[in-house]
Amino acid sequence: MTAPPRMRLSSSRLAALFVVIFAAAITLVLTAVYVLTARVLDREVDSVIRSEVTHLIDDYTSGGLLQLVATLRRRADSWDRNGAVYLLIEPTGYPIAGNLAHWPYDFDTYGNWIEFEIDATEAGGVVSHPVRAQVFLLPGGRRLLVGTDILERHKLASRLRTAMFWGAGSSVLLATVFGLTYSRRIRRRVRAFASTCESIMGGDLSRRLPVEKSHDEFDELGTAVNRMLETIELQTDMLRTTFDSAAHDLRGPLYRARVRIEESLQHEGLSEDARGTMEATLAELERVQRTLGTLLQIAQAEGRGRDVPTEPVDLAALARELVELYRPEAATRDITLEYGGAEIATTRGNSQLLAQVLVNLIENAIKYVSPAGRIDVSVAVEPDTIVLQVADNGPGIPAADRQRILQPFVRLERDREQVGSGLGLSLVAAVVRLHRGSIELLDNDPGLIVRCRLPKESG
Amino acid sequence: MRLLLIEDDLQAAEYLVKGLRESGYSVEHSPDGRDGLDKAGRGPYDVIIADRQLPYLDGLSVITALRERSDRTPVLILSALGTVDDRVHGLKAGGDDYLTKPFAFAELLARIEALNRRGAAASETTRLKIADLELDLLARRVTRAARNIELTTKEFQLLEYLVRHAGQTVTRTMLLEGVWNLHFDPQTNITDVHMSRLRNAIDKGFPKPLIHTVRGAGYVLKE
Repeated sequence: MTAPPRMRLSSSRLAALFVVIFAAAITLVLTAVYVLTARVLDREVDSVIRSEVTHLIDDYTSGGLLQLVATLRRRADSWDRNGAVYLLIEPTGYPIAGNLAHWPYDFDTYGNWIEFEIDATEAGGVVSHPVRAQVFLLPGGRRLLVGTDILERHKLASRLRTAMFWGAGSSVLLATVFGLTYSRRIRRRVRAFASTCESIMGGDLSRRLPVEKSHDEFDELGTAVNRMLETIELQTDMLRTTFDSAAHDLRGPLYRARVRIEESLQHEGLSEDARGTMEATLAELERVQRTLGTLLQIAQAEGRGRDVPTEPVDLAALARELVELYRPEAATRDITLEYGGAEIATTRGNSQLLAQVLVNLIENAIKYVSPAGRIDVSVAVEPDTIVLQVADNGPGIPAADRQRILQPFVRLERDREQVGSGLGLSLVAAVVRLHRGSIELLDNDPGLIVRCRLPKESG
Repeated sequence: MRLLLIEDDLQAAEYLVKGLRESGYSVEHSPDGRDGLDKAGRGPYDVIIADRQLPYLDGLSVITALRERSDRTPVLILSALGTVDDRVHGLKAGGDDYLTKPFAFAELLARIEALNRRGAAASETTRLKIADLELDLLARRVTRAARNIELTTKEFQLLEYLVRHAGQTVTRTMLLEGVWNLHFDPQTNITDVHMSRLRNAIDKGFPKPLIHTVRGAGYVLKE
């Protein structure tokens, strides 16, 4: 038996792909949300500062430096209230008004947005606060800084980042878990289907695909396939019953005809002619009987395989014995018939049916090989299989006909003259299938190789 | 010799009874299983021939019932089924031989003969002798008229089978079953070649042949 090809786990790969796409999508969305939120927050801060600046410039324009300083002093405690930061300095750097201790010289670019940090003493100790600000050069060399504490904004952004990280992480994790569970479930159901199909092919037509009442696509598929199996089983049964009764009903009259002719042959005083005709008729009846018997055997192997008694069978010993049985017969046509291969090769099966396989293959080979030809029967033991092979150097079978020839009553055009029913190879194929094996017809160049693989008996 | 034929196919039964009587047997016929079992009880018979499929009580049940009351009369089962498991079931139920319908009448005669003699022939001997032919079963040696004869293992088994059935007709099917353990009929008369080889070894060069061909039936080994 050939090992099943490694499963390509398409459901797992699908699940993995889904997780990757999902992770990418969620990262994209959250990044966009973060960037947009940060931008909105920045704009808000900037517009607050801008309106503050407008207000202070207005003061300066209308009331001069005094007015500006008055407003600044009034608002000096604003840091605690709304985090507003002000500083007005002399050209020398001496602070005139504001709530900032000194000028952040590092960012001394006028009209630009700057960001720096100030240390504030709070309940828990010194805390560094980020500040966003704008600076202006006033006439006379004085400089004005208007800004706002953006610690809260930074905190918000950082919280947003954390939330997004955990959100994305847990989503991806959940997706992975769901994906794996789902793909495993699919795999499990597909495997259940596959193993059921396997045993149905093994001849157990009464098996059905498992349906789980969850009304999903698998159940839909299972129900449909089961309905189909139902019909097939019904038709097969009908065909088999019809065939069986036909075969048995034919045996009755055949039996009587035979007995009747045999009885007539007992009579004295029969003419030689009459005797000859009757004997020929008897031979014809025998052929019909043989065909019928083979058909019944094929039907049994194909359909009722479960009832056939099995035991461990040493195919090597069986092949040797049958080669010995047929060697003298082959020798009468100057054909060499030899056995080669394993000493012991145990399979599990029905010894009579397996013997029939060998007999049919050997008889076929003897029939088609020309005088002085050669037939090699061999049995080889492989890890899981026993390979039984009958190779001849006869005319062989054209590649196009090799599959067809295994069907009942199929014979090659060139063999029309040969005696035979066209059932020998069909019976071989049916018995091999019954034993869960496989059969192959190959080119021996010239000649035919029939190779049967049968499962090795374990233990 | 008394035979009981249990067969529901009346036409076939009529021919068989006639044929068997002409062959010198005294035959009783019974048309169904119940009646057959009844008649068997009022025996004794030397061989019972029972069809597998019978009205009221099938052939296998008849055999089982017979064996239960310690009736050891040899039973030959006739069956139209002819499948592998069918034969096994038949023999397991206590049948002694099995014949698939339709069969040659000569085959039936040979089987009845073999069954009848079986009790006597199965004795534990190590030496078999017929005329001037002697078989040493332990040493696997054959001599004829004190002359050593070389045989292959299979030829020896074939000869042993013939000697054990000496005087009886042995059919090709019986040889395949008894010597090669093949319970089906191959297309070729494969036993003929082996028989002619054996004849060459046993009879060639001796004035009186021991192996004879029975036309349309098989072979017989006799003086």
